[in-house]
Amino acid sequence: MTKTWKTYQPYALALPQTLVFLLFLILPILMIGLVSFWQFNGYAMVREFTLGNYTDIFTSNVYVSTYLNTFKYVLLVWFFCLAIAFPVAYFLAFHIQNQSLQIILFLVCTVPFWTSNIIRMISWIPVLGKEGLINSLLMHLNLVQEPVTWLLYSDFAVVLGMVHLYSFFMIAPIFNSMMRIERNLITAAEDMGASGWQILREVILPLSAPGIAIGSIFVVTLVMGEYVTVRLMGGGQSASVGKLIQTQIGSLQYPLAAANAVILLIVTLILVIGILRVVDIRKEL
Amino acid sequence: MTKLSRRALIRTGLAAGAAVAATRCASPKAEAPSGTPANPATSPEVNTNQTKDVTLRLIGTGVSQINEIRKKAEEDLGFKIETRALSTEENNQIAITQPGQYDLFDGEYFSLPLVVPSGNLQPIDISKIKEFANIVPIFTENKFDGAKVENAQGTYPYKVMYVKDQDSKEFASEATGWATLIPFQYNADTLGYRPDLVGGTKITSWAQLFDPEFKGKTSILDIPSIGIMDAAMVTESAGLVKFGDKGNMTKAEIDQVTDILKEQKKNGQFRAFWKTFDESVNLMSSGEVVLQSMWSPAVTAVRSKGVECIYAPLKEGYRAWGGGVGLSKNLSGIQLDAAYEYLNWMLDGWMGAFLGRQGYYSAVPENAQKFMSPAEWDFWYEGKPAAEDMVDPFGKTLEKKGAVRDGGSFKERMGNVVVWNSTMEEQVYLVKKWNEFIAS
Amino acid sequence: MNSSTSVAPSEIQPMLNQLQQELSAQAVGVTLRNVTKRYGSFTAVENINLEIQAGSYTCLLGPSGCGKTTTLRMIAGHEEISSGDLLIGERRVNDLPPTQRNTAMMFQNYALFPHKTVWENVEFGLKMRQMPKAERASQVNEMLEIVGLTKFADRKPAKLSGGQQQRAALARALVTRPQVLLLDEPLSALDENLRVKTRSELRRLQKQFGMTFVQVTHGQDEAFALSDQIIVMDNGRIDQIGTPSQIFQRPVSRFVARFVGDNNIFMGKVREVTPNSVQMEVEGIGTLLCCRENQPAEVGDSAACSVRSDSMSLRPYPPDDLNAPNQLTARVVSIEFTGYVTRVSLLSEATGAEITYKARSDDWMKQPVAEGQLVSLSWSSDDCVFLAH
Repeated sequence: MTKTWKTYQPYALALPQTLVFLLFLILPILMIGLVSFWQFNGYAMVREFTLGNYTDIFTSNVYVSTYLNTFKYVLLVWFFCLAIAFPVAYFLAFHIQNQSLQIILFLVCTVPFWTSNIIRMISWIPVLGKEGLINSLLMHLNLVQEPVTWLLYSDFAVVLGMVHLYSFFMIAPIFNSMMRIERNLITAAEDMGASGWQILREVILPLSAPGIAIGSIFVVTLVMGEYVTVRLMGGGQSASVGKLIQTQIGSLQYPLAAANAVILLIVTLILVIGILRVVDIRKEL
Repeated sequence: MTKLSRRALIRTGLAAGAAVAATRCASPKAEAPSGTPANPATSPEVNTNQTKDVTLRLIGTGVSQINEIRKKAEEDLGFKIETRALSTEENNQIAITQPGQYDLFDGEYFSLPLVVPSGNLQPIDISKIKEFANIVPIFTENKFDGAKVENAQGTYPYKVMYVKDQDSKEFASEATGWATLIPFQYNADTLGYRPDLVGGTKITSWAQLFDPEFKGKTSILDIPSIGIMDAAMVTESAGLVKFGDKGNMTKAEIDQVTDILKEQKKNGQFRAFWKTFDESVNLMSSGEVVLQSMWSPAVTAVRSKGVECIYAPLKEGYRAWGGGVGLSKNLSGIQLDAAYEYLNWMLDGWMGAFLGRQGYYSAVPENAQKFMSPAEWDFWYEGKPAAEDMVDPFGKTLEKKGAVRDGGSFKERMGNVVVWNSTMEEQVYLVKKWNEFIAS
Repeated sequence: MNSSTSVAPSEIQPMLNQLQQELSAQAVGVTLRNVTKRYGSFTAVENINLEIQAGSYTCLLGPSGCGKTTTLRMIAGHEEISSGDLLIGERRVNDLPPTQRNTAMMFQNYALFPHKTVWENVEFGLKMRQMPKAERASQVNEMLEIVGLTKFADRKPAKLSGGQQQRAALARALVTRPQVLLLDEPLSALDENLRVKTRSELRRLQKQFGMTFVQVTHGQDEAFALSDQIIVMDNGRIDQIGTPSQIFQRPVSRFVARFVGDNNIFMGKVREVTPNSVQMEVEGIGTLLCCRENQPAEVGDSAACSVRSDSMSLRPYPPDDLNAPNQLTARVVSIEFTGYVTRVSLLSEATGAEITYKARSDDWMKQPVAEGQLVSLSWSSDDCVFLAH
């Protein structure tokens, strides 16, 4: 009896999580997959099998260009997040010796999350707008005669908004990776004559790679599904897969939106697998 | 601003914070401000004892969003009303697919071609509607003193006002005794602009949205089925497209319009597109956009920030929309009686006045007038200069003394409607092309 | 380091010889003059003066926080010197970066780069010195041959045993041909057995290469086993410098006496001072005669002396002469047989102080004393060391 219980104990412990997982993740995804093969009319789904949603997607230029545009955002946001997060994490991990100051500064990195996303987005208008801070400054300094319009409602603004939003998802895992680097290793590298840059390249960068990979997974998956920032910062003029899906849902075209969601999921998974193939993140988990 | 509820904020579009709930505002009427409970309503002639245990579930986009109206109705009618505020899309979907979820359907006329064929609404016996004969004839007879509106395109209310008989799911081409919705709220939409930022140019035509003078300073609405109507007004006015029926475009017409939109987008004509009420207010008040398609309360919200904004009467006329309440097929017995009581109460005037103070028109203006001050009536309905400050139900001053309503009187505004919001047969194709335009 | 190096195959021998020559020819000493290290208001190391001979094995010994590691890191150049001078050979190196001091450091837990192979780890220092690739490769291969890790060149450190890791770390340190090798507790990561074995390997290697080794340790056994010279540190100061036997037999302070082993310490008043001896009065015990080398002493001072627990003799009570100096009466509390030695704990009858006595177990067996028995302990004045502080 006890032996049986011992055998099943691990499964019993894993059961609640498994159920939650099945019920709230796997099942909905399967349903999305199912719905993506349904037909629809102007207002409702029709439970009849069709491949039309998929053929529509694969034969339309809109989807290709929307995916390309989304990839462009992913690439730019990933790049800038990394460019910001790495030095910030490096500074926090290696230049701040005082632990409580380290924690405080790390928390400061979460400031962008202290307000709602939409408020944050709207707050960009007084900064980047035609009559915003930056333009007033530029005009005041006579650097430009006309307000610079590409600051807001442009790809620039979309990328800026997302970088602002998602940098932290890069900072946290890189910081974590860096905190795990034994300080002795850096002293050892110094001892062997490595300069600051060489230490960075030879020791810190390779040892932070798992953190960079985890951060990249966060950023890539978040940006792949983005629609709020794309809409608000792009002034509705920029396209992303997420926004496309949102418009289709808004127009009750659920099967088409589901087909897009399935493809988005697959593409995102491919990207994540790609990242995992480059870097082994197991030691971070 | 007493009673500064979250929804109140959204409705007046004041605080950016309210934008969190922005999707709620996706429908044009979601942000109607409430009116002051002025005089107590006259008691309806019903036996309240019978219906006092009834609860009616109301889903919708218009009145359903306003708690003050629900409370007043409960107080006057003696039974309970549960409301569910929804976006236009959700509202339609529930109406069509989940008839058990509601007793009263508060929706727009242009939704009816989708909802009525489902058979989920029971035709309303107009003989039980006391004030039916006094409803503005735009709805009941498609007549309005011979004004333009009588020939308006799109899903005009009269087109979907009646069904053939008590059990019919088909619209009747003539007035019958059986109505689909009882109207309570409607308005005429047009372009809004910033007079201080258009460089002295008079905005008199929809076509000016594509004027190179305003390159990078215009915006339109990014909701396919409404945005396309504004785009149709613009392209038609500019002489770029000739439509058979703007309210029911062919694929070729949709192609033409979206191609032009894409080209304009490429040329940088648009500053942004907006999807929610708040966005349109922010775009305009920040000066990012100087000319755009707008909803009436958004113009009011911009003005209430002390920013000049004009809701331009355009020579081509207005795009209109109308909302009403219909009955679920589930209703019977005392529940049905209660529902009829609600419909009658709606036309009684109190609600009309309440909504009128935001600039919406009532189905029976004469009744609304009884609950409005002469100054309010003159300003909102007659197009006369305000004899006193115009104040909304929460005490917020919307217009200063001496102001005149843009577009003038009820007759001038509603009379000049040339197209109504529509559901087109090519809806699926439209969304596809609209996405192409946004993605381009 | 392992048997393959001691019984070197013929092809290794020439390499080994050459390395040996190179290293011993360049070995230099290290000198610290009035060296102080402060962190803000905290003084980690205070005014240290130290001579380390070229080719010697020196251990910095002390409890954690005594400043020994800071001293080592100052020599390595990983800590700045607040004041004073540091010389490596004849060169003042205070302001030189680690790499220009011709020192190499072996770290606690080795600090091998976990993402690099053994080969890359050993190569690192040469790469940083921008040595040409071909030369680099031959030196790395040679060094791996010498430490017997050629087979493991492509492994990551995590796939090596503790001893192999240690050899890899050593190879990495030696490949740059340092003049001084600095070792920061290099044995602490090993288990007891391997530690003793590796310890003697280290010592053998140091002798073989004739290099200057400076090692930090907190274990007296390790220090005794390895060192030519031991520097005992406490609270940022040097308490005593000496050979292992000096430290063991002639501790100069109560701290050293306590730290290096089972010494019994007595506190008292100085009664009489001669050039070679001090007579002390200890309350409850009586007169103690201590030998003195050059520790300062004044009559009337409060002072202490120590007697090693293994240099006392134990007899049944009562003793022949109750008034003789250098003896005390104590009761046996416990007896521990630890193998070669038997350790006895006693309590002084007069003062209640705890006394430790150690005897060869063989000797103890011949004349055992039971727990609870009263005994008399005595010692010669040569074994009683006067402590300056």
